[in-house]
Amino acid sequence: MLELRSITRRFRIGPTERTVLHGIDLDLAAGELVSLMGGSGSGKTTFMNIVGLLDRPSSGSYRIRGENVLAAEADAQSLMRNKMIGFVFQQFFLMPRLNAWRNVALPLMYRGTPEGEARRRAEAMLERVGLGQHLTHMPNMLSGGQKQRVAIARALVGEPAIVLADEPTGALDPLVSREIMGLFEEMNRELGVLVLIITHDPGVAARCRRRLMLTQGHLADQSLVAA
Amino acid sequence: MIWQTLVEAAGNLLAAWQRSLLALIGIVVGAGAVIAMLHAGTMARQETIRQFRQMGTDTLILRADSPQGLGNFRLGDIESTPAAVPTVSEIAPFMIGGGPVSHEGQNRNAGFIGATGSFADVARLPIAQGRFLSPHDRFELHAVLGSEIAEQLSTPFAPIRVGSQIRVSRYIFTVIGVIEPVMMNPMLPMDVNGTLFFSLSNARRVMAAPQLAMAVARLRGDADPEIATQQLQQHLGPGLRDSTLNVLSARQLIAGMNSQVRLVALLLGAVGSIALVLGGVGVMNIMLMSVTERRREIGIRLAIGARRRDVRRLFLSEALILSLLGAALGVALGYAGGVGFAWMSGWPVHFSPLAAPLGAGVSLAVGVFFGFYPAVMAARLDPIEALRSE
Repeated sequence: MLELRSITRRFRIGPTERTVLHGIDLDLAAGELVSLMGGSGSGKTTFMNIVGLLDRPSSGSYRIRGENVLAAEADAQSLMRNKMIGFVFQQFFLMPRLNAWRNVALPLMYRGTPEGEARRRAEAMLERVGLGQHLTHMPNMLSGGQKQRVAIARALVGEPAIVLADEPTGALDPLVSREIMGLFEEMNRELGVLVLIITHDPGVAARCRRRLMLTQGHLADQSLVAA
Repeated sequence: MIWQTLVEAAGNLLAAWQRSLLALIGIVVGAGAVIAMLHAGTMARQETIRQFRQMGTDTLILRADSPQGLGNFRLGDIESTPAAVPTVSEIAPFMIGGGPVSHEGQNRNAGFIGATGSFADVARLPIAQGRFLSPHDRFELHAVLGSEIAEQLSTPFAPIRVGSQIRVSRYIFTVIGVIEPVMMNPMLPMDVNGTLFFSLSNARRVMAAPQLAMAVARLRGDADPEIATQQLQQHLGPGLRDSTLNVLSARQLIAGMNSQVRLVALLLGAVGSIALVLGGVGVMNIMLMSVTERRREIGIRLAIGARRRDVRRLFLSEALILSLLGAALGVALGYAGGVGFAWMSGWPVHFSPLAAPLGAGVSLAVGVFFGFYPAVMAARLDPIEALRSE
């Protein structure tokens, strides 16, 4: 599904050059539930930006569903993000002036889906994440957990290859965190979608079958060790 | 998608309605000023045309100028003009002055015109009461009054009417006629409504510097005023000695006034344009602020899969809605301004058909022009940077 080969990312700060990611190789298959841990400065965010097609590696290759996604121009890359990647953020990042279903429908609208169909799919997805009663609620009327459910629905509605979740439970209390993790597991199981969760919380990582660890720009697969 | 974009843009503007309102003011004032200016210009033009319709575009005013000031016509030359100059049908010489007039304790300053009996016909003055001067009044102490001065000299117990006695300088004049209220005539050197008319010989008695320096003439049929002017120069010129003859035609005056109106309109237009540009800068300012504040939102949109043109379209829509609203309010303000102008000037309301489309079009163009840069800026944001910002 996802195929990253010797991904390296260097940043030039003035005269010095700093390598943040050192030749990362990674294969992710459909239906996997993967966690990525790593301390501050380990290159986590950079890695996620590259996987999420927000940034480009200095060298290496990246294919999603067999397609070379690094060749595209900015607008074409927007379209790829739209089709292949669903984002879930720690701070939810919902559009404050759009109601729940319009927030969820947004990726479909940018794709050019007619409004009627977009609404139908958005509402169906909101039902799936347990917000069937809140279709027309504005974000400020929802709790943190509900907002994150809307965000997850928004990430899933376009049937992406991968859902990238950046600290999805970081802003939630432990009980709601467990619910949200449960939702990720359920979506992963039922929709067979590939989920990559970036987290600091070992509890969250423990619930993933595959656990990755980034240290100083080097990626290690810990699930093999644990197994 | 376009509908949703417009709905979203409108929602964003409403959410920051105070700021949107402030941005609107400039556009509203600008569009309003441009539209009001066009209305005022149209009304001024209509008014000029109306004045000349009353006076007649076939009128000429002759004036003798000498190096010392006013010159003198020879009365005989003037009287022989219609016979000698084929393009002129009538001519009436007159002299102008002014001074105090009193009646029953009412003291006023009035303009004086010394004229012959034909003046009322040539200048188209309608008589309300009595009659105008005639050749027989030459040495009689008779006066004809304009409507305004007649009213001013009246008292509740002694209104001015035919037979009233009024005092001018050392003389007591008998009123033999009152002229109907007439509109200010741009051709005549004074307002007829505030003027006393005497015969030429009487005028020489009461005026400090009596000089037969002016005449009003009428063209025959649709004679060319240029040709008439040349012929008048030939006929009257030799008798003027060191004076020169100046001939002013109504058509020249219309042209002059039109260019004046155009100048005023241009000035107003410049003010309106400046207001519009300031309005545009206001829109740009608001949009730039909005872009800066909504960086993260832009980042999310880009992450979700919005293309640069989607982001650009969203912000352009906001500028467009703002300027549409501004244009609509500006049109309303412009029409109100036009009505206000008509009310203040006492002229009939006359709207320029071009005003609304022109004013609205220009303010729309300004809004979109100044909204373009912020929209492009928003679309160029780096998604990573934008997502990271607070």
